[in-house]
Amino acid sequence: MENLVIQTEKLSEWVNEVIKKNKVFAPVKETDFSNFKIIDDYSEIDFTYLLPRVPAKKILFKQTETLFLFTPGSKGSVQTKEISDEKLVVFSLRTCDAKTFSILDPVFLGDYADPFYKSRRERSILIGLSCNKPNVNCFCTSFGDSPASSDYVDILLTDLDGKHLVEVVTERGKKFIDNYKKFFTSASKEDLDSKKKVEEQAIKGITRTMKLEGIPEKLDKMFEHPIWYENAMKCIGCGTCTFVCPTCHCFDMQDESTLREGARVRVWDYCMNPEYTHHASGHNPRPARMNRVRNRIFHKFNYYPINDNIVGCTGCGRCIDYCSVNIDVIDIINKIGEAES
Amino acid sequence: MVDKELLVKTAKKIVSREDVKYVVGYKQGTYGFVISPSFAYTPEDVDNFIYNPLCKKNLTVYPILEEKLPLRREEEEDKRKIGIVVKGCDSRALVQIIQEKGLTREDLVIIGIPCKGVIDLKKIEKRFPNQTEAVNVVETDNAEYILNISGAVQHIPKEELLSEVCKSCEYPNPTIYDFLIGEKIEVGEVPEYSGLKNLDETPLEDRWAYWEKHFQNCIRCYACREACPLCYCKTCMADMLEPQWIRRSVNLSENTAWNIMRAFHLAGRCISCGECESVCPVNIPLMELNKKLEKDVKEMFKYNAGLDTKEKTLFGTFNPDDPEEFIM
Repeated sequence: MENLVIQTEKLSEWVNEVIKKNKVFAPVKETDFSNFKIIDDYSEIDFTYLLPRVPAKKILFKQTETLFLFTPGSKGSVQTKEISDEKLVVFSLRTCDAKTFSILDPVFLGDYADPFYKSRRERSILIGLSCNKPNVNCFCTSFGDSPASSDYVDILLTDLDGKHLVEVVTERGKKFIDNYKKFFTSASKEDLDSKKKVEEQAIKGITRTMKLEGIPEKLDKMFEHPIWYENAMKCIGCGTCTFVCPTCHCFDMQDESTLREGARVRVWDYCMNPEYTHHASGHNPRPARMNRVRNRIFHKFNYYPINDNIVGCTGCGRCIDYCSVNIDVIDIINKIGEAES
Repeated sequence: MVDKELLVKTAKKIVSREDVKYVVGYKQGTYGFVISPSFAYTPEDVDNFIYNPLCKKNLTVYPILEEKLPLRREEEEDKRKIGIVVKGCDSRALVQIIQEKGLTREDLVIIGIPCKGVIDLKKIEKRFPNQTEAVNVVETDNAEYILNISGAVQHIPKEELLSEVCKSCEYPNPTIYDFLIGEKIEVGEVPEYSGLKNLDETPLEDRWAYWEKHFQNCIRCYACREACPLCYCKTCMADMLEPQWIRRSVNLSENTAWNIMRAFHLAGRCISCGECESVCPVNIPLMELNKKLEKDVKEMFKYNAGLDTKEKTLFGTFNPDDPEEFIM
């Protein structure tokens, strides 16, 4: 839509200007990793780590969401929860985290729109940052995406050493950037060429590939394949892979109350937990770990592509990075590709 | 260095036995420095077994994770034994579980490996990021690790990559085993665990700030619980709904409740394998909590967990002289 340039030393001024009128989320350093947090000043941002540990989904789809408040008892009452109208900015989103929202939209904005997600989605500006040095388990290119893709953001920044290219992608992004015109100048053809070089370099840095061709259809015939048992033997059944996944979105709802006040909360749930499918009757339709490990893969690589025409994985590699028993989704999918169904 | 051939030979012999279901050991993972648990059902499956200083995972969680699904009509329960590869700390977990009657000694065939300490995956991955190719690591006799990374041979002082828990390991030799691979290691002077200042020494406000910072990051994935061989309650108190001891809301208060309760449930039981800390996706220094409890138990009750299956558990014993100053 529009290509601009900002001198890197001006970046802090611009972001601090943005902070004045918006709630800005950006990666902040924790102990040896970073996480998305609300920042009060540009200096809090930490660009050392490629990906914040917990993906950006947590900004629009919070791990703990209070749905409404209530007073328990026979004279009790329900108080609806006001939805804020604060403007949100997510800064320094990588392609894999930005793509999250195009995968979560069919769930939270589909037949029944979730008011909390919908509101945040509508009042947030997604500012991407191209990757220059991918991680060992990065594989966004396997989905036809690029580490410098502008497809899923409103504005994309690319570090061109000394200055940042600012690609304004959407109408919303344009409206936003127009408020801060004084920080930007027009981009030249050289700037765009430099971005291409950065992009090519980053793509070269991605060494692992997931071969996706024909996988959704093939999985249909592999419901009972030994591969599920092999991986389930290793699985210890923790929730790490689902909680660090940018697209896992299952939740549980609970009433949490004291004698005087209570709240209905929605919290992230994980399908690796037997309780996840445990019925009140005592029956569990996914009784074994094999059923649960299989479900995670099927949901992303079969149900999702068939129902919503998009693979439910963005290639961030977090589930591989943080799995303590080496359950490797790239390896599983590639083995499925090679296996006789 | 552990004799891989002897390990494979032993495991093959075990897996060939009629009364053994499978043997669980280690194999090369799918990328870089990662090691994967390996389940061998046949002697051929054992061929991929390896053992090197990267084999940190405590495999004793697996006999506990054995699923006992409802049997179909006329189906009989598979009561065969499980073979398992253990290091010093891992074997102590088995002893502790056997003491607690969580497992039966006769159901296990144990391959013990005297352990010189294992590498912290987070440390080595930080040093060599973007390592896709599998790497073999060899420990030399003069406290060095040798690794070959893309043709370049690296010599790294052991101290730099060694897991923190291993630095204060008192029991490198398995305390229970059927087969021992290699010679027992002599245990020298063990330095006191250094990570206790955040629980013992610093002012209260600083301590609280330190733990608040960490507990805030907890995402309650319960990886610490699932990876711990001693967290095997049939229903964890964290999963109970009636009464709900810990709320599902993920916030500082509930996260703190979870992390402290987890640690306390391991008092006098934790065997310092460090598994909880190494699987934590948000780097919470859980071993500091565990070590503090271990130290207190040692000082007050002169008790070390997981040494002898004949011994009773700390909480299974009572002595009129037991200290009780800490009871409010």
